[in-house]
Amino acid sequence: MQAFERELLTLLPRLRRFAHALARDPVDADDLLQVALERALKARGQWTPGTRLDSWMMRIVRNCWIDEVRSRARRARTFLPEEEGASVGADTHHEIEARVEMHAVDKAMNALSAEQREVIALVLVEGLAYREAAELLDIPMGTLTSRLTRGRQALVQMLELEAA
Amino acid sequence: MMTIDDDMLMAFADGELNEIGRARVERALAEDPSLRARLDAQRRLRARLAAHYTPVAEEAVPERFRALLETGVVDLSAARAPRARPLWQSAIALAATLVLGLALGRTLLVPGAPDSGPIAVEGGAMVARGSLAEALDSQLASAQASNAATRIGVSFARSDGRLCRTFDSAAAAGLACRTDTGWQVMMTAAGSGGQRGEFRQAGGESLLVQQAAQEMMAGEPLDDAAERRARDSGWRRGGASR
Repeated sequence: MQAFERELLTLLPRLRRFAHALARDPVDADDLLQVALERALKARGQWTPGTRLDSWMMRIVRNCWIDEVRSRARRARTFLPEEEGASVGADTHHEIEARVEMHAVDKAMNALSAEQREVIALVLVEGLAYREAAELLDIPMGTLTSRLTRGRQALVQMLELEAA
Repeated sequence: MMTIDDDMLMAFADGELNEIGRARVERALAEDPSLRARLDAQRRLRARLAAHYTPVAEEAVPERFRALLETGVVDLSAARAPRARPLWQSAIALAATLVLGLALGRTLLVPGAPDSGPIAVEGGAMVARGSLAEALDSQLASAQASNAATRIGVSFARSDGRLCRTFDSAAAAGLACRTDTGWQVMMTAAGSGGQRGEFRQAGGESLLVQQAAQEMMAGEPLDDAAERRARDSGWRRGGASR
C-alpha cells in the first residue's frame, strides 16, 4: 500500500461519519463511501501530495452524494406518472421517510435543505473551520454562515433544545 | 444593551471570532440571560450531534473498505448491488482475486519463458497466448467438447463494439476482449481447476468473471448464430451483426 492509501485508511472513520451525516442512513452512508473511495482511487492523480487529503476526500464524498440524489430523483421520475414525478423528483424525503423509524437526529437532519445539511455536517460534525468549509463547498463565507445559522436554528427547534 | 445576532453568537460558539468580537459577546452574555439561553441551546445541539455521530467514527470500519484500499480492486458486485450481497460472498470474491495474483505470478507468467503460459504481458497489457488464444479464436460456446481444456462461457459486445468472451480452464478463468492484434485479457481469476458441474457453478471465481462480464456488456450476450458470425468474421468490431 502506498502513502495515499495509507492516509485514506486513517481517514475512513471520519469519512464514514461525514457520509452518515449527509446520507442520514447507515446503509446509504456506506454505499456512498464505497462509491467515493472508488472515485478517489481512480482520481488519485489529481490529489497533490502535501495538501490536505481530508478536505479533498470530503469534497469527493459530497459530490458523490449530490450525484446519488440526482439519480434517485431521475429514478423517481421514471417510475411515477409525470405530474407526481415532478414533485417527488425535487427531493427524496418521501423515499427516505418510508423506511423504518429514524433516529431523531437523522430525522432532523433529513428535514434540512441539502445545502444546510452539508454545512452542518462539515462544521458541526466534522469540526472544519468556516474558511475550510467555504473553500471545500466553493461558496462565499457569508453564504456559509447564513446556511449554518438557519440550519442550526431549525435543528434546535426540531430537537427541542431551547431552554425550558 | 448591545445586540448580538445569531450569526455572531454562533461564530462565538464555534470559536470563529477574533478577540474584539469575543469580548463583545462575552459582555453581552453577562448582561443578557436570554442570550445565554440561546448559547446554551447551541451547546446542547453540539453535544447532541456529537452523541449521535461520534460512535459512527469509533466503530470498526467495515472490512470491504479496508480491502478496497489494500488491493485497489473494486468489488464490482458490491458496487452493483450493495445490499443484495452477503458479506461472505465479498470475502470469496476477494479471496479469488488474491488467488489470481498468486496464480499469475507462479504459473502463468513465467519470467523468461513468454511462450510457456496461456497469458503473457505485452506493453503493459495481458494477452492470451497458445491454447487460450486458440480457444478464444475458434471455439464456439454452443459447440464445445465436454473435455475441452478451455471452456468458453459467454460472448458479448462491449459498448465500443469490441467483442469479448469469458473463459475457464484449469489454470485460470477470465475475460478477454478482441483488439486489432489479438485477445487482451481484461481480468482473470483462479480457474476451476478442471472441476466441472455443480462445483464450478458454486465457485466464487466464476461469479467474479460473470460479474465483470455483466459490467462490461452492452445489451445481451451473443446467441449461437451471432457468435458463429462473429467468429467467421475474425471477431472484428460489429462482426456479430448480420
